[in-house]
Amino acid sequence: MLIAEPLQKVIDELSKLPSIGKKTAQRLALHLLKTDVNDVQKLAEALIELKHKLQFCKVCFNISVEEKCAICSNEKRERSIICVVEDAGDILAIEKTNEYRGLYHVLGGALSPLSGIGSENLKIKELISRFSSEKISEVIIALNPDTEGETTAHYLAGLIKPFGIKVTRIARGLPIGSDIEFADEATIGRAVTGRIDI
Amino acid sequence: MILEELRLINFRLHTNTKLKFSDKINYIVGGNGQGKTSILEAIYYICTSKGLNQNNDSEAVNFNSNSFEIKGVFSDLTKNESRLFYSAENKKKVLYLDEKQVFRISEFIGKFPVVTITQSDHEITAGSPAERRKFVDSVISQASNTYLKTLVDYNKILKNRAALLNQIKETGRKDYIDELDSWNESLINNGTYLLKNRNQFVEEFKLYLDNAYKNILDENEKPGIEYKTLCSSIETEEIKNIFQKKLAEIKKEEIIRGVNLIGPHRDDFIFYINNLEIKKYGSQGQNKTFQVALRFGEFFYLKDKLGKTPVFLMDDVFGELDTQRSERISSFLNKTGQTFITMTDFTRFGELYKSSEDKLIYVKKGEVSYA
Ligand SMILES: [Zn+2]
Repeated sequence: MLIAEPLQKVIDELSKLPSIGKKTAQRLALHLLKTDVNDVQKLAEALIELKHKLQFCKVCFNISVEEKCAICSNEKRERSIICVVEDAGDILAIEKTNEYRGLYHVLGGALSPLSGIGSENLKIKELISRFSSEKISEVIIALNPDTEGETTAHYLAGLIKPFGIKVTRIARGLPIGSDIEFADEATIGRAVTGRIDI
Repeated sequence: MILEELRLINFRLHTNTKLKFSDKINYIVGGNGQGKTSILEAIYYICTSKGLNQNNDSEAVNFNSNSFEIKGVFSDLTKNESRLFYSAENKKKVLYLDEKQVFRISEFIGKFPVVTITQSDHEITAGSPAERRKFVDSVISQASNTYLKTLVDYNKILKNRAALLNQIKETGRKDYIDELDSWNESLINNGTYLLKNRNQFVEEFKLYLDNAYKNILDENEKPGIEYKTLCSSIETEEIKNIFQKKLAEIKKEEIIRGVNLIGPHRDDFIFYINNLEIKKYGSQGQNKTFQVALRFGEFFYLKDKLGKTPVFLMDDVFGELDTQRSERISSFLNKTGQTFITMTDFTRFGELYKSSEDKLIYVKKGEVSYA
């Protein structure tokens, strides 16, 4: 079967996105074809704007409009505590609980030799360098409660403790096996307040 | 716990089969390849989400279809429905408990406990250590979700750790050693939990095995079971220390070979009859008897641990046992619970004890009829 080239192009691009297969991509492309041109224009502009207007914060690697994200540049936040998370999405989840007032650091994943992710692929050096440029007294490790997250937590604790900084983990309030991003707000809230030393 | 009804749609030869069961013994009778074992397999699927004997799910799809569905209604204190749908097209399996999708199998296992006796039980006494670990792990996993979850995590740690050992071997990078230490910590934490629980299990299980021999199989033989591992303690700290020490001793060799060399994934269980190791000295009959005893032990162990009576699936068990043992087992079955027994050789039927509450189900070319 021959598909018109412009349509095929959209299908190919859409199917590169996570969790979108060939069939879904085809359905979306056909839907866009039927959609009013102004709406398609708006979508295209929003996508471009996303790339042009957003970047990763230079300090904590959160998603940001400016060089420094809204949290890092907020003087009212408690500046001596850093909460380490895997992805920027985890920040959104923790912020929604309104329980945490400190700073963040986004690692960009967790150690996973099986998928070729070693310490050099994560923003670990950048975290350590913050200990000399900022006055940090506590690091809260809030990685996903899976084996990769656990192991990364052990690894970070080993690196951070020699700086004389307190290392804690959010208490096991999270349902086992769930990603932080999908846990409900109340459980994360309790988890952040009930953290434990490691 | 009783399985009241079962429905199979496009499952092997069964295009649309509806079954109602006795809460005592259900004899499922038919020739080879007529679809009687499929009924046991389907029951196993809705209890565990997996097929018997680790076949591919796609093999179980009827050749005229591209998906199968199995639905079972269980009754205990409440009525619960387990439904499994498999689509061969996208190789996707979805399990529903009371029409709510189950996302974590580790939280589902043990809800509908099941014990099986099949031909492949032969491997438990005669096969490799992996077969015996699989048996023990599957029993403890049905009794404890935490154990199953830890086992799954432990296996993931092993894979990651093996990948890292290989990376160290290939690149010679020293900075990876710190990462290895972190994986060691995870390995020890999870491995210690498994080891401790297996030690506890073996101690408890001895009694169940003894009882199976005394009450059902052969009071003249004395069974034994021993767990060969790093450390026989059930003290977490003691196990951790020994694990850590042995891991440090073997570090160089692990890096040279790029393999996980110690931990519960390398352990074995030794079975004895009258203090003689079965694997080395047991006769064929002794092997078979021991396998059946392990399953009866599993049945009563799970019943006690879960406070719920498992369903018992027996695939052609009497074909391999002598008349005397068959009689003893079948006369004991009224003390177990709901049992499903497939039979090819109907001439042996006369040897078995039957009550008026038992059901006789004939299966021919995927069609079911009742006697
Ligand atoms: Zn920032």
